[in-house]
Amino acid sequence: MENRNPLSPHIQIYRWHISSLVSISHRITGIINIVAITLICIWTASLILGDTNYDFINLFLTSIFGKFIVIGLVWSFSFQILSEIRHLLMDMGYGFELQTTRITGLVVIFGSIFLTILIYLIARNFI
Amino acid sequence: MVQINLPKNSEVTKGKYYQDKTGSKNIRKVNVYRWDPSTEENPRLDTYEVDMDNCPSKVLDILNKIKNEIDPTLAYRRSCAHGVCGSCAMNMGGKNGLACTTPHAEIDGDIDIYPLPHLRVKRDLIGDLDGLYKQYQSIEPWLKTNSKTETTEIVQSKEDRAKLDGAYECIMCACCSTSCPSYWWNGDKYLGPAVLLQAYRWIVDSRDDERKARLKKVADELKLYRCHTILNCTSACPKGLNPAKAIAEIKKMIAVANV
Repeated sequence: MENRNPLSPHIQIYRWHISSLVSISHRITGIINIVAITLICIWTASLILGDTNYDFINLFLTSIFGKFIVIGLVWSFSFQILSEIRHLLMDMGYGFELQTTRITGLVVIFGSIFLTILIYLIARNFI
Repeated sequence: MVQINLPKNSEVTKGKYYQDKTGSKNIRKVNVYRWDPSTEENPRLDTYEVDMDNCPSKVLDILNKIKNEIDPTLAYRRSCAHGVCGSCAMNMGGKNGLACTTPHAEIDGDIDIYPLPHLRVKRDLIGDLDGLYKQYQSIEPWLKTNSKTETTEIVQSKEDRAKLDGAYECIMCACCSTSCPSYWWNGDKYLGPAVLLQAYRWIVDSRDDERKARLKKVADELKLYRCHTILNCTSACPKGLNPAKAIAEIKKMIAVANV
């Protein structure tokens, strides 16, 4: 017989903490990165069809909205890299103590913002 | 399947409001999940005003006070009241724990009390843990030896015994498993942190002869590798154990054991 009892609330009530935030962000940025890499490949491949295609996408990416997207992608890549390093360390069995996971989680979050700014500054020849 | 929303019959509605009758100045509002199996109604969230001047320090004390003094129809599991039996596991202030060891002073604002997440509710704060117990049974949590002639005890060195520390203390309260999003959405296949911690406990036991078979049994994409180190389990464990680390250790053993 099918169980018709109600299901107790789960994600609606469970409190977030740093590790769960980093974990879900890791997945989301992973999906964004797959889409982004595909788009970059299409962009590069469009060169074969002539430089007007390149200019068209270039125009889009240098617009305000395009720049927002590019910076967003740089953050998404930065986050993924740092979070992946955290995952690799965990796969080796390190960093499972609650305090350590909090610290490494914060390093991933703030490190990704720092990396984004750093890459932006380097790319714009500011440093 | 990831199901973010609750089914229609599980949506929580606003419930009754029990005003304080003691005239106390030190009042806290306590929101408690209620569901009565004898009605067709949806679950509701009842609010109780509790006099904190005459209430001991733990969340279980609040529940006892509500049941004894305000509303005797409230149902919840409890037994030892010392964090040993694991009966009073529930979700308080958005985090799983034992009501008898969780101080209500640690929860800010109104105190929200729900059953353990993503379980079929039997009544009020009582969730159905049958699925978890079946999974626990499936890992065969007892010592297995191949020897038929051994008549004396199997001796274990102090170092080998130390490997069980942090695993044998588990009281199977299900705080960790029901805090795990992977377990919420794949609980029919994924074993979950509580059962995997126990699987680990028998895998590392030096006296057990079935290590390889045990490893083989959990070496499955869905049974073991659904752990994505969200670490809700470790932060929920009322005994301070680390199921996430145990799962990582099993993964490591499988990587080198060639099973």
